Amino acid sequence: MKYAIETFDLTKKYKDFIAVNSLNMKIPNKSIFGMLGPNGAGKTTTIKMLTCLTIPTKGTATVGGYDINENPNEVRKLLGMVPQQVSLYKDLTVKENAELCADFYGVPDDEKEDRINELMELVDISYAKDKRIGKMSGGQKQKASLVASLVHRPDILFLDEPTIGLDPTTKRVLWDLIQDLNDSGHTIILCSHDMHEVDMLCDNVGIISTGNLVAYDSPRSLKDQLINSQKEEYTNLSNRLYKFKKDISSNNKILSDREKALEIQKEELFTYKEMSFLLKNPSDELLNYMETLPHVHGLEVNKNGRISLQIDKFDDNAVSDILKALFDKGAIISSISTQEPSLEDVFIKTTSEADLGPRV
Amino acid sequence: MIKKEWLSLKRHPSRFGAIIIMPIIMILLFGYGMGGDLSDLPIVVVSQSHGNLTDTTLNDIKSNNVFKVTDIMDNVTEAKNMVDNGKVKAAIILPSNYDDNTTTQKTATLYLDSSDQMASQTIVPVSQQLFSQLSIDQLQSSQTQTNQADISVENASTKNSVSSQINNVKSGISIQINRIYGNIKYIDFLVPAVLGMTVMMSCMMGMGASIAGERETGELARLFMTPTSVSTVIAGKIFAKLSVEMMRAIILLFAAIVLFNVVVKGGILQSLLLLFIGAICFVGFGVALSARAQNQEDYAQMVMPFSMPMMFVSGVFYPVETMPWIFQKIAYICPLTYLNDAMRAVMIQGHSLEFVWVDILVLLGFTLLFFLIGVVSFNRDV
Repeated sequence: MKYAIETFDLTKKYKDFIAVNSLNMKIPNKSIFGMLGPNGAGKTTTIKMLTCLTIPTKGTATVGGYDINENPNEVRKLLGMVPQQVSLYKDLTVKENAELCADFYGVPDDEKEDRINELMELVDISYAKDKRIGKMSGGQKQKASLVASLVHRPDILFLDEPTIGLDPTTKRVLWDLIQDLNDSGHTIILCSHDMHEVDMLCDNVGIISTGNLVAYDSPRSLKDQLINSQKEEYTNLSNRLYKFKKDISSNNKILSDREKALEIQKEELFTYKEMSFLLKNPSDELLNYMETLPHVHGLEVNKNGRISLQIDKFDDNAVSDILKALFDKGAIISSISTQEPSLEDVFIKTTSEADLGPRV
Repeated sequence: MIKKEWLSLKRHPSRFGAIIIMPIIMILLFGYGMGGDLSDLPIVVVSQSHGNLTDTTLNDIKSNNVFKVTDIMDNVTEAKNMVDNGKVKAAIILPSNYDDNTTTQKTATLYLDSSDQMASQTIVPVSQQLFSQLSIDQLQSSQTQTNQADISVENASTKNSVSSQINNVKSGISIQINRIYGNIKYIDFLVPAVLGMTVMMSCMMGMGASIAGERETGELARLFMTPTSVSTVIAGKIFAKLSVEMMRAIILLFAAIVLFNVVVKGGILQSLLLLFIGAICFVGFGVALSARAQNQEDYAQMVMPFSMPMMFVSGVFYPVETMPWIFQKIAYICPLTYLNDAMRAVMIQGHSLEFVWVDILVLLGFTLLFFLIGVVSFNRDV
């Protein structure tokens, strides 16, 4: 089976409101898929349909090869879910909650104990196995929720904002765990607003906006697409402006409002890329030299000694040209970083462009 | 804060409706159902005699607004059966010698369903007063006749017969009270229905916490994500609730026996079985009602317009028959009425479960209806 999940015109309407609109997407088997989208975009409704908690108004989907409309019980057996709001019984302990879930999924009695112990070891919650959920910290609850969700060994695991509200250390532990689970063969669908988390963990990302799938690819490709589209747009604007200006100078005309608007648009689009580095042998001479380099539009020395350069965003040769010039001048660079377009930029661009009007 | 509360209410029409409707229902229940004296208590009269006194007595009984004479018959056994079966509260039996002028002592019998303590407390004094008044009226009437007889005593050839009449009337009319279930205290009357009512309240409120509460916290969604069927989930909830409620019922019953010396004439096990049937019914009611409630607060507002009126019209505190006709009609569509009736029949009257089969059947019918509504309206769309 190539795809863990495939949707075919999956649609959900609530009276006149279209929550999900003809969604078509494929989630490869044993991958980590990031489902992104603004609040109210239709992510939760999509998950509800895929987990058979609500019936689609139109279209269908297959989960693990089973149709959600025709074989919902087979689908349910394959799924695990860690919801954003921990939904375990607060008066029961981690172990008791996991046992209850095991019973609901029909896990054989002779396997139950071993599986639960194994999972508690895996997520590192064995030390609190007899602690009631209501008395646990946020991180412990999420781990307990994972144990309960994995007890029936689901092929596909839905994680809805699993790290929201957790401290950075616990976040990292959970990220490692998600990666481990994926390595052990689980397909993971991760819903998150943490772009760094999605960027770092996911093989593919789908962005849902106003009920539609507006972007789908790997995080790297999405970022490349963004920079390419910006570059293309910038080039187009530059060409148009060049033409206008040429026309103005030949006809002695002044810039019209439209041309002024294009100029502003171009300036807005052209944001510099930051390149920063730490020199082992900083000197005024080197700093002055850097300011004169082509592609460099600004220089700043931070309190920690790190030098930040504002360089051309769309020139692929800018970084290597600057480095070459510095090496030739005898600079010794101890660390270097460049600012890349982030998944957040992709998210903002795609969701702002996807404002498709009222969802009726 | 005031503005916030009002906005919140405005945006939850069901809550707002309940707030408006509940006080109206309550004032109607208290004002019409419980506020006044008992009246229109159903009775039958057995008239085995014929004559002026019988006619006067019947007229007096019929014109007394405490009684509602459903039938006048001449068969004592049939009348007693009607009382035994709870169709009427009492039978007033006028003996065959009631109009016999030669009888010195006339004794009517009040065959009384004493299990309904409230009705008994009204019927007994009213009956005693009625027959006492009849006695006085008869005495006054005979004295008038005596005076007239004295004037013409010398030439009256019927002197002896008139004197005989006077003597007979002077001997009076008495009423013998036959309480078929002995002397029942108010607590004895109250306990069976309070047990039923407590089970009703806790079952209905408990199901709200169990279903609407879990829907709110997401626990229900987790359940519905498993391959377990809706009916299994509901059945699990019901049996869990029933086990708790039966424990509560046992504690309540034994507390009533120990603390208030309540005598369970028909057997503890039969009473518990009735409570069990009632609990299933009310849990079903809770399931049906909570199937669509989004949270506990909504459920609480939804359940109140059902539970509170049911508590008052189902004869827990006052006999159903004494309420205005509209409340009586409502009472017949309340499962608690049937549970109370059966509980009193078993606990006070000492009947077996066969005797209350109609009540049990109605309760099971309600149960089936509630479960059907619950399962149909309950879907996984959480």
